[in-house]
Amino acid sequence: MSIASNIDAANTGSHMETNVHSLAEAPITIGMAGITKSFSGVYALTDVTVAFRAGEVHAVLGENGAGKSTLMSIISGVLQPDRGEITFEGSTASPLTPEKAADLGISISYQHPAIVEDLSILENLQVSLPPALFEGRKVSDVAREVMSAVGLDVPLKMRAEGLSIGQKLLLEIAKALATKPKVLILDEPTASLDKDASDMLFERVRAAAAQGTAVIYITHRLAEIRQIGHRVTVLRDGHVAGTGLVRDLSDSELLDMIVGRKLDSTFPPKAKPMLGQANLTVKSLGGHGFSDVSFEARPGEIVGIAGVAGNGQTELMRALAGLDAARGEVKLAGQRLNHKDLIHAAAFMPADRLVEGVAKSFSVRENAALGALEKFASFGFMSRRKEHQAVVDTFRELSVKTPGLEAKITALSGGNQQKVVLARALLEQPGLIVADEPTQGVDVGARFEMYRILREISGAGTPVVVNSSDAAELEGLCDRVIVLSKGRVVATLTGEDVVEAKIVAAAVSADHHAETGAERRADRSRGGALRHFLQSDNAPAVPLLAIMVALALYGYSQNANFLSSFNVYNTLMLATTLCFISMGQTIVLMLRGVDLSVGPLAGLSVVIASFFVNDGASLPRMLTGFGLMLAVAVVVGLANGSLVRYAKFTPIAATLAMYMGLQGISFLMREGPGGYISYDVTAILGAQIGPLPWAFVALIVCVIVGEYVLRKTRIGWQIRAVGSDEEAARRIGLNVNRLNIMGYVATALFVFVGALMLMAQIGVGDPQQGTSYTLASITAVVLGGTSLRGGRGTFIGTALGAVLLTEIFTAIAFLGLSQTYQYVFQGALIVFAAVIYTTLRGRPQA
Amino acid sequence: MNTANNATYGTMPPGLFGRGRPSFELGTVVLSTLALIVLCMIFAPSSISSGALAGSLPFAAVAVIVSLGQMLVVQQGGFDLSVPGAISLSVVISTHYPAGNDAELLPAVLLALAFALGAGLFNGILIGVVRLNAIVATIGTNALLYGGVIAISGGVPRTTTPLLSRIAGGEFLGLGYTVWYALVILLIVAVVLKKTVAGRRFEGIGANPAMARTVGLRVRSYELSAYVSAQLLYCLAGILLAGLTSQPTAFLGNSYLLPSVAIVVLGGTSLMGGRGFPVPTALAAFFLTQLGQFSITIGVPFSAQTIIQALALGLGIAVYSFRRS
Repeated sequence: MSIASNIDAANTGSHMETNVHSLAEAPITIGMAGITKSFSGVYALTDVTVAFRAGEVHAVLGENGAGKSTLMSIISGVLQPDRGEITFEGSTASPLTPEKAADLGISISYQHPAIVEDLSILENLQVSLPPALFEGRKVSDVAREVMSAVGLDVPLKMRAEGLSIGQKLLLEIAKALATKPKVLILDEPTASLDKDASDMLFERVRAAAAQGTAVIYITHRLAEIRQIGHRVTVLRDGHVAGTGLVRDLSDSELLDMIVGRKLDSTFPPKAKPMLGQANLTVKSLGGHGFSDVSFEARPGEIVGIAGVAGNGQTELMRALAGLDAARGEVKLAGQRLNHKDLIHAAAFMPADRLVEGVAKSFSVRENAALGALEKFASFGFMSRRKEHQAVVDTFRELSVKTPGLEAKITALSGGNQQKVVLARALLEQPGLIVADEPTQGVDVGARFEMYRILREISGAGTPVVVNSSDAAELEGLCDRVIVLSKGRVVATLTGEDVVEAKIVAAAVSADHHAETGAERRADRSRGGALRHFLQSDNAPAVPLLAIMVALALYGYSQNANFLSSFNVYNTLMLATTLCFISMGQTIVLMLRGVDLSVGPLAGLSVVIASFFVNDGASLPRMLTGFGLMLAVAVVVGLANGSLVRYAKFTPIAATLAMYMGLQGISFLMREGPGGYISYDVTAILGAQIGPLPWAFVALIVCVIVGEYVLRKTRIGWQIRAVGSDEEAARRIGLNVNRLNIMGYVATALFVFVGALMLMAQIGVGDPQQGTSYTLASITAVVLGGTSLRGGRGTFIGTALGAVLLTEIFTAIAFLGLSQTYQYVFQGALIVFAAVIYTTLRGRPQA
Repeated sequence: MNTANNATYGTMPPGLFGRGRPSFELGTVVLSTLALIVLCMIFAPSSISSGALAGSLPFAAVAVIVSLGQMLVVQQGGFDLSVPGAISLSVVISTHYPAGNDAELLPAVLLALAFALGAGLFNGILIGVVRLNAIVATIGTNALLYGGVIAISGGVPRTTTPLLSRIAGGEFLGLGYTVWYALVILLIVAVVLKKTVAGRRFEGIGANPAMARTVGLRVRSYELSAYVSAQLLYCLAGILLAGLTSQPTAFLGNSYLLPSVAIVVLGGTSLMGGRGFPVPTALAAFFLTQLGQFSITIGVPFSAQTIIQALALGLGIAVYSFRRS
């Protein structure tokens, strides 16, 4: 393969835009002058000056790490530049914030879509788009219109998790287009789109540009620039490497701008061609995200995996390391290995060091030794001497710079952390080294040592496979480079051909689009209303109701008084207390938190009331008491929320401390039961209509209103979005901290209402009461189907869960059964429910 | 490789438990405990009299055993709410079955251990394999265990077997047997966790399961082992408690749940999982017990104790989370 043939391929797949009409005169929508941005001393952008004009599609090209994402983050207001000025339609716009950018009409479609999986598609649109867009029209009509702009036809009520990656991208683009922005930023929009979808997207982009939008189009693919780009700016190492009209530039000129980097001469010499048998053979390996990959390596050869990020390289690396199962064959030194063998034979260096590479709380020594502990042990007991010696020896070989073996891994520079990961790999004495982006986040000096070490390992006969998005690095390091595009091998370069230009050309010129395999998840989206209901948060209501009715009928068959108005009234009164408290618990659980302090808060509230709300007390005194209960609830909610969000306590730790504190205060106020609650107040709270307590009717209203707020109002979507995916919520523009703290306060307010009912129920201030509501509320919420993973919840389910729990309680007392049944029934029910819910909605990567 | 440098990586730290110098967590707990003892000597000398300690130490020892179990679970990023049920079940099994007959004690203890094993496997499978949330699964297990408690005892206390009373209540070198048992258990947990291959892997998996998987460790098996070991420890604690109390009630375990979590956190183990601190945890159990004794002696009502404990807990979390960030 040569550059020429690749460029030919690129040209045939494109059709030059010819209707470029006097673009030079188009007004500048957004202008950037002298933009410089550095991260802890490393320059991501240096003196970048570029103008994006109305009605133009302006492509921004560059390799990974060239500074494209930083530039986009600055335009969308997420990052502030260190120096330089941004102008919008001629007037100064800096400093730019995300809100201001949105107000100006700058909208961005992220490469990793900010789509919240637990929300429905409609809710995703509603929570992300400005409310004005939906005003005066039927919401579903607006939503369909927004989606049809990108040719997306999926049920509005389907959960977004059912979308394929391509569909999520389209939805993200639809969101960006919907606001009719003045500046539209598209970050590698076609990465996961098939040919048809890409063509349709290009249509939309052209149409938007025709209406005067300045489109900023980030991509790796030259062919796409030819298809829709008017103007192109190439970034290289944070500098503008060149800019101009697309029609004036040839592909080879563009490639020169992208690459153009002088190769450092410090790469170790490459392997001499050896005659030996291949020691690593991969034959038609396929798995999630890649297929039919074959290559082999002879001893001493380093194999490089190349391609534009996200084209199956990561998945291939994981399969080679045995972390994911794959089809096909991997042979190491003539022996065929399945993925369980591979996980032991191969040593993996993950790309994301902090996620998979190191244990942050561990010392350098512990991190290095973890994979080979058994080698330093006799009879299962560690030998400190052996461990120390082996680690020191390896660190010497790798020249690891650390303050000491017991230093925390996070005290080391990125490069030295990576060396520790490599040391762990070497200590395992692996048969194969699989290094995913081994120099990512590694400083230049350590980088070249890394190259030397990898070369030495390979020279010693251990096959080394390296994935890198830096083509220059692959050129310097590898003897053989496999280029992937959309999961398939598009080029295998060896010997003289392993040069950056050929690698990049093969990667960016590949024009074949993703197979529609990605669409298979969409099948789940088809189906009728019943299917949607089964997927919905409220589905557990049906089995819960069924069990409730069955239990009621059984109780009735055993003892007709079970359904007497007296017993029904009592059961519902008890249930109302638990329901209100559980509704509060539902809110924090939806926010992926938990509140252990609800029980003691309810207890404390009653104790407070017992000092004010007594027979003969004046109305103002009683109102003071209620006011105090309310104030305590608000303070507790604020304290819980702030401890979790600002002091960074885990929700369990924060609310556990609160639990103990509140209980202590209750006991401080009253040593034992005392202070009878006013009979009149109790009577009012316990008033009934037929067999139903009024309070229960009020509860039903609350549940319905709460459910409405949760499903149909902005605050409801926001709470669920934050609980489901904090990162996506932040990018949508939600104030995550504020919503969380509000959630804890709302929880405490529900507990306040529950405490009023508890007050009527026990009628006296008793510091021992209330605490049991903590676990009971969690049980009720889980029975109701709210997920402890956050993002999904239902007040209806919670209410039913609470009523069912209470019904079990009374039924067992009523039927004269031993308490054993109560516990067993309760325990079995929660475990059973949790297993079923978890299995049914198990997310692919839970 | 010929480029070996001569960088020094420090000499090997000496000593059995040595990492050269004591951990921050151990230092924090030791200092707090010493400060508390000084306070006791000045303001509440009677709370550290040998008589008072003889009364309180055995219960602190039980708390140590329970907390070590909770610590193992927390190390795996979990949370065990089945503590009360587990302790109560072993209390009633070891008192109700023998019903005062010493000969029946051994079978009863074995039965209690068998139940603990079952409960641990149940928790471990639900959480490690089925991937249930630890809170939900252990709430369920707790209720099931209490079902067993009521089924066996009917909720009525029964007098402890004399043999068990001697086993738990005797004294050796001025310390109650229970204290010695707790020390032995502490030693075992500490040595296994810090000195063996399995223990080191256990901590590595807790610190970062994703990393452990890339290294090829069997993450699920280790998670499961945490829940099983924890149940066995709760069970031992329950048996000792049954011996220490003349007429143990069926709900003795209830008062150990929250303290066990508080003690683990005060001992320095993060609720996010990872490294465990057995010795600081044991000291924290003593600290919390003694804090209670101290506040009672200086006249703080029994009731307000939990406020002081809550403050100590909040302060402890703040200190650790400040240091970790």
